[in-house]
Order: sequence, then structure tokens, then C-alpha cells
Amino acid sequence: MLEIKNLHVAVGGKEILKGLTLSVAEGEVHAIMGPNGSGKSTLSYVLAGREGYEITQGSISYRGEDLATMKTEDRAARGVFLAMQYPVEIPGVTTLTFLKTALNAQRRARGDSELDAMSVLKLVRQKATALQVSEEMLKRALNVGFYGGEKKRLEILQMAIFEPALAILDETYSGLDIDALKLVAEGVNALRAPERAMLVITHYQRLLNYIVPDRVHVLAGGRIVAEGGKELAHELEAKGYAHVVKEPA
Amino acid sequence: MSAAADTKEQVAALGEKYKYGFVTDIEMERAPKGLSEDTVKFISAKKGEPEWMLDWRLGAFRRWSEMTEPNWARVHYPKIDYQDAYYYAAPKAPEKKLSLDEVDPKLLETYAKLGIPLSEQKMLAGVAVDAVFDSVSVATTFKAKLNEAGVIFCPMSEAIRDYPDMVRKYLGTVVPVSDNFFATLNSAVFSDGTFVYVPKGVRCPMELSTYFRINASNTGQFERTLIIADEGSYVSYLEGCTAPMRDENQLHAAVVELVALEGAEIKYSTVQNWYPGDENGKGGIYNFVTKRGDCRGARSKISWTQVETGSAITWKYPSCILRGDDTVGEFYSIAIANHYQQADTGTKMIHLGKNTRSRIISKGISAGKAQNTYRGLVSVHPKAVNARNYTQCDSLLIGGKCGAHTVPYIESRNSSARIEHEATTSKIAEDQLFYCLQRGISQDEAVSLIVNGFCREVLQQLPMEFAVEAQKLVGISLEGSVG
Amino acid sequence: MNAALPSREARRAEALESFRVRGMPHRRFEHWKYSDLRAVLDAGQVAQSGTAAWQVEKLPEGVELFDLGKLDAPELVMRNLGAIGAKPTMKEASLAFADGGVALRVPRGRKIAEPVTLHISSTGNVRLLAVLEEESSLTLMESHTGDAGLLRNVGVEIALGTQARLSHVRFAASAPKSITIEHIGVAEARGAQYRAHFANFGSRLSRTELHILLQEEDAEAHLSGVNVLGDEGHADLTSHIEHVAGNTRSTQLFKKVAGGHSRAVYQGKITVREGANGSDSRQTAKALLLGGRAEADLKPELVIFADDVKCAHGAAVGDLDPESLFYLRSRGVPEAEARHMLIRAFLEDAVAEIENEELRASVWHAVEHALPHAVRVSP
Repeated sequence: MLEIKNLHVAVGGKEILKGLTLSVAEGEVHAIMGPNGSGKSTLSYVLAGREGYEITQGSISYRGEDLATMKTEDRAARGVFLAMQYPVEIPGVTTLTFLKTALNAQRRARGDSELDAMSVLKLVRQKATALQVSEEMLKRALNVGFYGGEKKRLEILQMAIFEPALAILDETYSGLDIDALKLVAEGVNALRAPERAMLVITHYQRLLNYIVPDRVHVLAGGRIVAEGGKELAHELEAKGYAHVVKEPA
Repeated sequence: MSAAADTKEQVAALGEKYKYGFVTDIEMERAPKGLSEDTVKFISAKKGEPEWMLDWRLGAFRRWSEMTEPNWARVHYPKIDYQDAYYYAAPKAPEKKLSLDEVDPKLLETYAKLGIPLSEQKMLAGVAVDAVFDSVSVATTFKAKLNEAGVIFCPMSEAIRDYPDMVRKYLGTVVPVSDNFFATLNSAVFSDGTFVYVPKGVRCPMELSTYFRINASNTGQFERTLIIADEGSYVSYLEGCTAPMRDENQLHAAVVELVALEGAEIKYSTVQNWYPGDENGKGGIYNFVTKRGDCRGARSKISWTQVETGSAITWKYPSCILRGDDTVGEFYSIAIANHYQQADTGTKMIHLGKNTRSRIISKGISAGKAQNTYRGLVSVHPKAVNARNYTQCDSLLIGGKCGAHTVPYIESRNSSARIEHEATTSKIAEDQLFYCLQRGISQDEAVSLIVNGFCREVLQQLPMEFAVEAQKLVGISLEGSVG
Repeated sequence: MNAALPSREARRAEALESFRVRGMPHRRFEHWKYSDLRAVLDAGQVAQSGTAAWQVEKLPEGVELFDLGKLDAPELVMRNLGAIGAKPTMKEASLAFADGGVALRVPRGRKIAEPVTLHISSTGNVRLLAVLEEESSLTLMESHTGDAGLLRNVGVEIALGTQARLSHVRFAASAPKSITIEHIGVAEARGAQYRAHFANFGSRLSRTELHILLQEEDAEAHLSGVNVLGDEGHADLTSHIEHVAGNTRSTQLFKKVAGGHSRAVYQGKITVREGANGSDSRQTAKALLLGGRAEADLKPELVIFADDVKCAHGAAVGDLDPESLFYLRSRGVPEAEARHMLIRAFLEDAVAEIENEELRASVWHAVEHALPHAVRVSP
């Protein structure tokens, strides 16, 4: 589904990713781990298409198409979803309005009919209960005054509503206490499906006890330096990054 | 009404350019070009006005001849040659129209294009329309229902003929003849407009609405509106504007006077969507408007809500004179300036009576190479014991070539008064845009969404019918402003 | 280099001409709306008021002083005199009619700990020029006393080099008979800082006007001030800060207490020029009206031509908070004392902006002295 080959990315003229290669198949959950500054967030932004992240070399193929030339919103419509580390506040725009606008924009782009307000509300309510997103939260302005845990739950709710083919979770778990983390992990696990791939980006090994990956990749210095099964995460927890990073694969 | 759901939900149908740009080809009857006592006499005669009205106009003309055009606003435009314009244009209509069927079908077609099919207005719940085509009112509906309630809602020319005592009693008492250059010009040459009287204790049974259009080339438009809410009455008035696309700049100088007697309430809402000129600043309407409300009686209230997205130049300060004790004045404004538009708008809250309250919420959005200024005065006079004002003025900039300016004047002469003013300036953040794009929302739609959020407090003040249109307008007027 | 500069007499002649052409400012001038100078003074009186006397107490080592009344002006004077900031009418008058004044120079890298105190107590026109070279610093106390009537008109110019830092405190004692005007022009280079506090206790007509140019990145201006006005006092502070370069910062905090028939005015204009991204500007002006016939006029103005900026202003006029007053009284504090406490609390953050402890104490002392005049109970 996702084929990244020898990817080099520069931000503000500085090279951050230096030849990253990664392959993710449908139905798989891959964890990208690595110390701070290794390029994890750069990877998530370049996949989502944020301005200012310049691909200088290499390629990204998504379902056989060149992702790099696609507009950000077109990527979203084709199923690329990025759950952000710091979800953005938009004053005055209620969460529900935002969800409806985004959902219908994606449906329109795919040639599906738009949903009316009542249908959207029904859909959102149905998905919201499991994630403990209250009606009251839906009526508030998007992410404005939300607690960290509320923001993260709302990101997972969006993932449940948009049903992406490729979900990228960028440090979705940072700043959560153990109960909130379990709730979010459950939400993510419920969305695991044969037709959906996930990229779980984290520096926090213990998270992977809750979301068990099929593959683990270690990112350091802008490239993958180690790969393995879920046991690699345990090894990292026991021995630390320094151990792995010193012996590049 | 099923549409009672969150009006924000209805932001849709974006992607249209200025869709009201067309010209109706109807034979016009014009006053001779230029402005002189003869022009004033021509207009007055044309409308069959009584002598007192002509004298009033001539008095205004003489005052105007001695006045100079103001230059304090932050707007720039080539000098207007007042002698190179027509001051009266009317569709040729020899006899009085009696019913909709007798109205020129072409005119009705124009309204259909504007999205206000007059013949279907009766089907719309609670909206009566006094349609002004250029300068002369041609059709009024809902007369019967309003008559029943005793509400007078008619063209100003008709009011001068049918209710002269009322017009003489109130006309020019809120905006005096020599108030300012443009108001004085209007007093001399006003063509027509709307007159509303709501009797004592009556709650007007429907929202009153007038659609203005400017049509004839080179014709100044000088509307005159007078609304009187008698003791304990209530009226909500909606004013919406669209104008056909034109290359030449067109002058518009309207005057609106509101009088609220004891315990009365007037809510006046405007969506102004006149032709703003093209992307290069060519053409567009010059909009110099004087709007003022007088809370003459105790416990009365006047509330202005405006959404200003059109016109090349907007010069407009809907104000409240809080004369009676315990009166309330409100001003809610959204002003959007894109491309080369210039808006200088705001309000004046003049606190004269005891326990008077005012509230100002202004949202200014600048994009392209536009200049957008909020200019406001809060004045508390010595006798205004316990006066209160709260002002919030927010500016949003889109791009680095536009300007956003805030000029509030706060003058207090009573020690028990409290005035609070806050202002902020911000831009659409790159991370907000990216977040929307990542969720599949297009750039233009994202801008519309974010700006509508920024304006929410004001949009909520609009009656339902206008809120939907206003939200669309916000999006349309900012299309292509980012990226 | 001197040869290219116009002579001092040529500049004064030019200023005189400019003053004559423009005439006295009056309330029909937008910026003089709240201070009608022409109503209390005519151009002839300005011309006749001559030159004001000045005096500098103990010049600290490292600061150079030059008497502008002497003819052998050094280059630093010739380069800057009449060249910094806008040239409003009354500033032109001070240049045209002052035969003297003082120029200060702090050489490169010198950091002067001890404040320089400049006393002005007579009537007339006078000029002040302060040049702080790269990475130098100084505290300047400008003390205005005396109430001889008619006019005192001061024209100040301040040039701050890269990373230079001036802490300026202007103290103006109550002068109910006098008209006091001062215009301060400040030009700041990269990383320079101008901190100024204006403690003004009112005169018949008092106008302090600032024009500050943040010309290079990281330049900063921090203004604060207090007025305590009683009886017929008037104090107008009008500032214009221009963010010419990006990443420049300005803050303003003004607190005004107006009693009796007094009038407190604040007009603060912030301009962010096109391209000055990263500018950060905050403005707060608050007035307490204590007198039944007192007036406060506040006009915080923003003129912004760049989008990546943070600009905010707040203004408020009111009386003491009745709830706070009630709270204090319910705890046994007598009303007069409670009011006094709350007024002090109102002024606190503005006075706290004065860095020099001694100067801060002297401003508090003056506030205490002035307060009884302002809070005198009126009907």
C-alpha cells in the first residue's frame, strides 16, 4: 500500500530525512520508533503533505500513485489520515461543523453524495460513545479549551468517522495518563482492519503493549537503522536507543 | 422549520464568483446630468412632492453647496465630480402599479436572478419585501397583514404623500440636514427609500425586508429610510444589497434614521454585497452611508448588525444615541475587504441618559491589498450615570500586503461610568490551514470555515434568513485570498 | 563630513519657517482634539518665551555633556539635532526659539550605573539630545518643577545605537498655571531598548508626545506612566511607536487617576509597517475617574500593514470597583483608607515599571502627595 524509497526531505534547507525506505502492506500496523530529533514528525508531515517539507530525492508511492505530487486535501480524500501530536484549535468553529465540513469535502472529492446535518450527527454520535466524546464536546469550538486527552480522543474519533486507508498516528499518546492511553489504544485497535494500514509513530515503547505492531522500525539520523517484529520494542525498552542505534542494520 | 439546525451547518455552495453582476435593460427616465437647484426641483416635481418637502431639499442643497467632502477616513479614491452624475433615474412607469402582475416582467426576472423571486415571496414565511429598483419602489407585498397590525411599511415617496405629519415630525431629527457632507447631499436629492411606522405596543408580525439594487449607469443612489417604533413596539428590519457589475465607480449615499420611543426595540440587519470592483481595483461602488438610531424614549433598544463584504469603498458608522434612561445600543459588525477594497466602518455610542448600556463587537478581515479600518466612538456625557460599554474589536489579516487598523475613541465624563475596550490582531495560522487540508477540506473552504468561526459572535445576531447568506458571502468574498 | 550638514542656524531658520506656516495646533487637528493649545496660547507667546534654563546634577564619569548654547557643536550634535523623529509644530518651535539646551553622549560600551538628573524649572524653550552609542547604557531622570506660568516647551531627541539601553524617567510636578509641552523623538538601532516612565501630575495644559522608531530588528520600547490629577489638571500623553523592522517589541502601560475638573488623555498609535513581521505590541491604558467633573479620553490606535504580528490593546475607564471596596470595608478598613489602598493598587503595576529603586520611590512619594487632591470628595 505504501512504498517509500530512499526518501530525502529537507526543511528550511536542512536535510532531515536522509534516505528512508519503508514498505507497509494493507492490514499491517507498523511502529516507527526513535529518539527525539530523528525525523519522526517530518515523516508524518511529508506523508500528509505539509508545506515547507521538501522532497529532494526518492519517492513515495501510495496505492500505486505518486503521493508527493498530490495536494494535501486530495491525500485526505484518498484515505491518508494524520492524527496529530498537537491538534489545532479553531475558535468559533464547532467540532460538529468541522466534522461535517471535512466529511462532506472528502465524500465530494470521491464522488459520493454529501450527508445532511442529521445523518452526520447520527454517524458522529454512533462513533463518539465508545471514545467517550460527549455531545457537549461536539458543540464546543474545535479543540478550543480541550484537555490533552480530549484532543487526542477527538483525533481518534475523526479517524473512526473518516475511515482512512492509511492512518498515521504521530505521538498520539503523549501527555496521556494510563486510563486515557488505554481508552485511545482501544479506539485504535477497534479500527484495525484488513484493508487498513497504520503507522504508529512514537518514542514511547510501552504504548506498544497496548497497540501491538506487526513490524517495528527504528528511525535515527533520518533513516531506518533497525527493523524487526514486536520483540524489537521490548529490546529497546530494556536496552535503550543507544544500543540499537550504534549497530545500524 | 427543519432548517432550525445550526446555521453554521449550511455553509455550502462555495465557488461562485460575484454572481449578481448583470445589467437589466429597461428604459430609464433620468434627471439632467449634474447637481443644481434645478435638479432638486426636478426630483421633487417628478415625485409630486408638497412644497414643504421641496423647501427642505433646497435648504439641504444650499448647505451642501458650502460644505467640503470629509477626508479623515482611511480611504482613498479619485475626486468625485458631483456635476458629472445623474441624480434621478426611474423605470418608465406612467401609472401606479397595482399588483405584481402589472410589474414589468423584466424587472421580476432581475429579482429572480438575484434570488428573490417576488411572486414567490408570499410563500416565504414572515418576510415582506419592499423592492427598490434603482430609485423608485415598484412593488410592495404583505400590505394586508401589516395593515391589520397597523404597521406602515411603504416607500418614502408614498409616506410623504400619505403620512406627511409623521414624516415632517421625524425626518431629519436623528440625522440633521447638515450632519455631514454625504447626509446633506442625500437630504437634497434622495430618490426614495423606506418608511416604517410600528404603532404603540405592536410587535411587528414579520421581519421587514428591503432589497436595494443599483442599476443605471452613472446614477447616484440616494436612499432615505426612516423607521419609527412607537412606545413598547418591536420591529426587525433586514436590508440586503447586491449590485450589477460595472466598470465605472458608482456613488451611493444613503441615510437611515431610526427612532425608538419608550420601551420600543428596533433590530436593523444589513448584508451589503455590492460590487466591490475587480481583482485589480477597477470599478466598484462607493458607499458613503449615514445610519443613526435615536433611543429617544426610556428603556428603548436599538441593535445594528452588519455584514459588509461589498463596495470598493465603505464609509459607514451606524450609531446609537442613548438619550432615554435605561436604553441599550448594540453594534455587531463583520467587515471584509479583499483585493483593493477599502472599508472604514464602525460605530458611535453616545451615552446621554442614566443607566445606558452599549455593546460593540467588530470583526474585521483584510485580504489581498485591501485596507480595513474600525473607527468607533464611545462617549459618556456627564449626566449618563452608571453608563456601561463593552467593546471587542478583532482584526484578521490574510496575507502581508493588506492593512488592518483600529481607531477607537473613548471619552468619559461621568465617574460612575464603566467602559472596557479590547482589541486584537491575528492572522490565519498556517497550522490551522494545514489541519483543515489534512482532513480533506479545500483551501478556500478552510479559509471560509476559519473566518466564519472568527465572525461567529456576529453571525449569531443575524436573523436566520440572513445568517445563511452571510456565511456564504464570507467564503465567496475571500476566495483565492490564500496561497 | 560636517561640510555636508546644514548649519545649526540654517536648521533653526527652517524650523521657524515651518512653525510660522503651520501655526498653533488646536482641537480641529485630529491629534490635538483633547488639548486645545491655541485656546490658551498664541504663536507670539511661544516666540517670546525664550530659552528655558536647565541644570544637570553631578555628571557621572563616562558621560559627556555639551551645552547646546555654545557655538562649537561637535559632529554628534550636528548629525542628530532636529533629525530624529517627526517634526510636529511645537517641536519645531523648540528648535527655532531655544538658544540652548543639553546634549549627552555615552560612548560605546560604557554602562553608566548612576542616573543623570536633568532639572528644568523655568519657562521657555529648550532642547535635549541624548546619544547612546553601541552597547552603552544610561538612566536619565528628567525632572520638571516650578509653575512660573506661560510655557515650557521641550524638544528631545534620543539616538540609541546597537544594543544601547536607555532608562528614562520623566517626572513632572503639578503646575496648574503653566503650559508644558514636550516632544520626544527616539530612533533605535538593532537590539536597542528604550524604557520610559512618565509620572505627570498635571498642568494647565500638559502634552507629552513621543515618536519612537524601532528601525532595526530586536529593538524594543517599553513605556509606562501615571497621572494623578486634581482640580483643574490636564495631562495628555500621545505616543506613536513605529515598528519599522521585524521582530521588534513594544509595550505600553498607562494608569490615570483623574479627580476634580481634571482631564486625562492618552492617544497611543502603533504602526507596523509592511514586512515588519514578528512585531509584538501591547498597549494598555486605564483611567479612574474620581471627580464628578473629570474627563478621560483614551484612543489606542493600531495601524497594521503586516500579517505575522501580535498586536493587542486594551483600554478601560471606570470608578473604583465597589465590590473590592465593600470587601475591604467588611474587613474593617475605613472607607477613605480602603479607597486609598485601591488607588495605589490601580497604579502599582505602572509604577513598578521604573527599574531604578530610588526613582520609583520618589514617584510613589509624589503620588502620595498628589492623591489627596484627586480624591477630595466631590458631589
